[in-house]
Amino acid sequence: MTVSKIFRYTFLAIINSLIVYAIPLTLTFESWFLLSLIIVIGILINLVYFSDRFLPMKWILPGMIFMISFVVFPALYNSYVSFTNWSTGHILTKTQAINILEDRVYTPENQKGIEFEIFVLQDSSLDFYYVANLDSNNILFGKAVSDDEIFTTSYANHEPSLFVNNEFVTPDGYYLLSGKEQIANSTTLQDLSLIIDESTRVQLYKISVFGASTGRLSSTSQLYTYDDLNDVMINNADNLSCPVVKDNFVCDGKEIEPGWRVFVGGENYRKLFSNQRIRGPLGVVTKWTFQFAFLSVLLCFVVGLFLSMILNKDGLKFKRIYRAIFILPYAIPAFVSVLVWKGLLNPDYGLINSWFGPLYEIFDIEPIKWLTTKESARSAVLLVNTWLGFPYMFLITTGALQSIPKELIEAAKVDGASGLQSFWRITFPLLMVSISPLLIGSFAYNFNNFTLIFLLTGGGPPIIGSDVAVGWTDILISFTYKLAISGGRGNLFGLASSVTIIIFFIVLVISAISFRYTKRLERIYGNI
Amino acid sequence: METYKLFNWFKEYGWRHLFALLFVIFAIYPILFVATNSVADFANLTNSKLIPDGFTLKHYKLLSSNPLVPYYSWLFNTYKVAIIAAFFNVFLGTLAAFAFSRLQFRGRRASLLTLVIVQMFPSFLAFVAIYLLFFQISDVAPIMGLGTHFGLILVYLGGSIGFNSWLIKGFMDTISPSLDEAAKVDGATEYQIFSKIIAPLARPILVVIFVITFIGIYSDYILAAIFLKDKNLWTVAVGINTVFVDDFNADWGVIAASSVIAATPIAVLFVFFQKQITGGLTAGSVKG
Repeated sequence: MTVSKIFRYTFLAIINSLIVYAIPLTLTFESWFLLSLIIVIGILINLVYFSDRFLPMKWILPGMIFMISFVVFPALYNSYVSFTNWSTGHILTKTQAINILEDRVYTPENQKGIEFEIFVLQDSSLDFYYVANLDSNNILFGKAVSDDEIFTTSYANHEPSLFVNNEFVTPDGYYLLSGKEQIANSTTLQDLSLIIDESTRVQLYKISVFGASTGRLSSTSQLYTYDDLNDVMINNADNLSCPVVKDNFVCDGKEIEPGWRVFVGGENYRKLFSNQRIRGPLGVVTKWTFQFAFLSVLLCFVVGLFLSMILNKDGLKFKRIYRAIFILPYAIPAFVSVLVWKGLLNPDYGLINSWFGPLYEIFDIEPIKWLTTKESARSAVLLVNTWLGFPYMFLITTGALQSIPKELIEAAKVDGASGLQSFWRITFPLLMVSISPLLIGSFAYNFNNFTLIFLLTGGGPPIIGSDVAVGWTDILISFTYKLAISGGRGNLFGLASSVTIIIFFIVLVISAISFRYTKRLERIYGNI
Repeated sequence: METYKLFNWFKEYGWRHLFALLFVIFAIYPILFVATNSVADFANLTNSKLIPDGFTLKHYKLLSSNPLVPYYSWLFNTYKVAIIAAFFNVFLGTLAAFAFSRLQFRGRRASLLTLVIVQMFPSFLAFVAIYLLFFQISDVAPIMGLGTHFGLILVYLGGSIGFNSWLIKGFMDTISPSLDEAAKVDGATEYQIFSKIIAPLARPILVVIFVITFIGIYSDYILAAIFLKDKNLWTVAVGINTVFVDDFNADWGVIAASSVIAATPIAVLFVFFQKQITGGLTAGSVKG
């Protein structure tokens, strides 16, 4: 046994024990995808490090594990999710949803029992507490909780010290609510109960303005029972049988939350292309994504090339200083620049509007409400992106211009070509050979330029009348983000994933074009 | 004669200066504006003076005293996450690059091609799936689940390691193979060739890749925003863009100060490594 072998086997033992530890957990939580990821990674590690057949893989695998886990697998997972109804209300698996429903309880009418004095308290964090005076042996005190918190709350305690000479004494740190205050809070209070044991609880029954209110003891029963033979949920309160309709149990035409996630085939895609109130906005967003990416590249390229052309002159003074300054915007992280630009563009106080102030007066027009109308928001996005992106184009065109042999231009001049002619016929085509792959790369980058759009406008202003949260400056990736995370209409993971798949294909096409274009240009100009 | 000379100068150089100056203003004004407002006594959006009336550090001090804006925790988090992720990125990338550059094995070309194809897609594109995957990881292993720096670092590792291996491999290919062949003749093992010859010779590119990756992670918004929910764990990018939304005008001094602190180290790194970073960019566009 060499040291390296001991090291290797210890390492494998640790990895394998972690895997053995994790697998039952993934089974408990029904995380099938995570389970398959763990198994794939586990097999790869054991294959590569136990045998000597895959020696070079030993070097590659450590890095590759991360790429497989967090790039390749998510991409596959994403395609799977796009065929499910995964969204708020349908997050759980069916078994998990059934478990949650079976934990729900109700109080049958005939179980509403004895009545007694009850006191309502509040602590400094405004949580409610009940004191139920059943008799001198049963003075129960505890937090009053709603149905959702029942399983995380401890049972009420017997606290005889709360009564001195049969008079209730408010404990330190609590506030005793008067009858009027109880009425004011009655909507909250009617859902709260003091838990005595698994099936018995105390609820506030009658609020009394004079003297103590009345509480009532009740025993609860399980509200839903799952009948796995017929695959129906039985509602014990109303004696209803609730069958499965797609991804929910439905009682009397009413869906019971939560539902569960199911495979829905192409429904998300159908929704994207046929639901008018989604298809419309999606079309707007897709068109703008292309426009935005194209115009961004064009504007940055034109400005960058123009600047590198005017500096590309022998004997020009301050050249180095100009260069250093033109690069500066590129050196600032975008999340900072965008924040600053948001300030400059502020319609009420921003500098842009105070500069334009005289213009507005001369032409007698309303000051532009930057970022709040479709046109102004779109122009602002392009303006800021030009600021962010022209330095990059300046840098690469400067490099490319310098690599074009001067003799070529001289020769053209001797042959009588004008400045413009030699630019369009010689400089520009040569420039494009080295620059065009970068332009396509830049297009692809801007196609998914989430940071700029999301931080500058948040995609806004909103498009009115659509079924999903979407705005006039949203690009596909920010649209996806809103659908999945922050749209304020729940998490539509399935629908968002299907939009991501569309982006995947567009990026694929762009990359393919880039690849072929580069090849072609190399063939045409390769000899120069 | 003088006018003619002047006219000629303008035709040759003058107009170039004119346009250059115009764009100098465009490029630098927002930067100067934010820098001066960060030290101006009465900082607000309308304060267009580039030389402030009174010099003050109060905005910087406010950043450390407001418990609702734990700015320096954000800064610390950002450096922590970016440094750890960039380090392991370079370390694991170097290992993989060594195999791709120096070892012969079946599937080498195929794996390299896979790397290139995978890297065409930005790693955050499948963020929905990443979110859901980590949602499940949270159940099984909470220390690396959603809301943790550990999990975020793992995602950053996956995102750029392929591209970095590719870049490092390109550099290693330029190191003459006669060096390691000679070492092999002298009985050096694979590991020795890596640690004694190839890795030390590749050090310049490793530094550059570390810096590029560091800047990339430092500037990331989307993944950090999805991952980190607890205010105290946010990175700067998430923090300042979440907190400063309500009253831009009143907060302007503090916004400016936080921007200056967040941007300066990156700007310095960038200027220092500008040649190498743009070189790396030309090879495959990281930013821009």
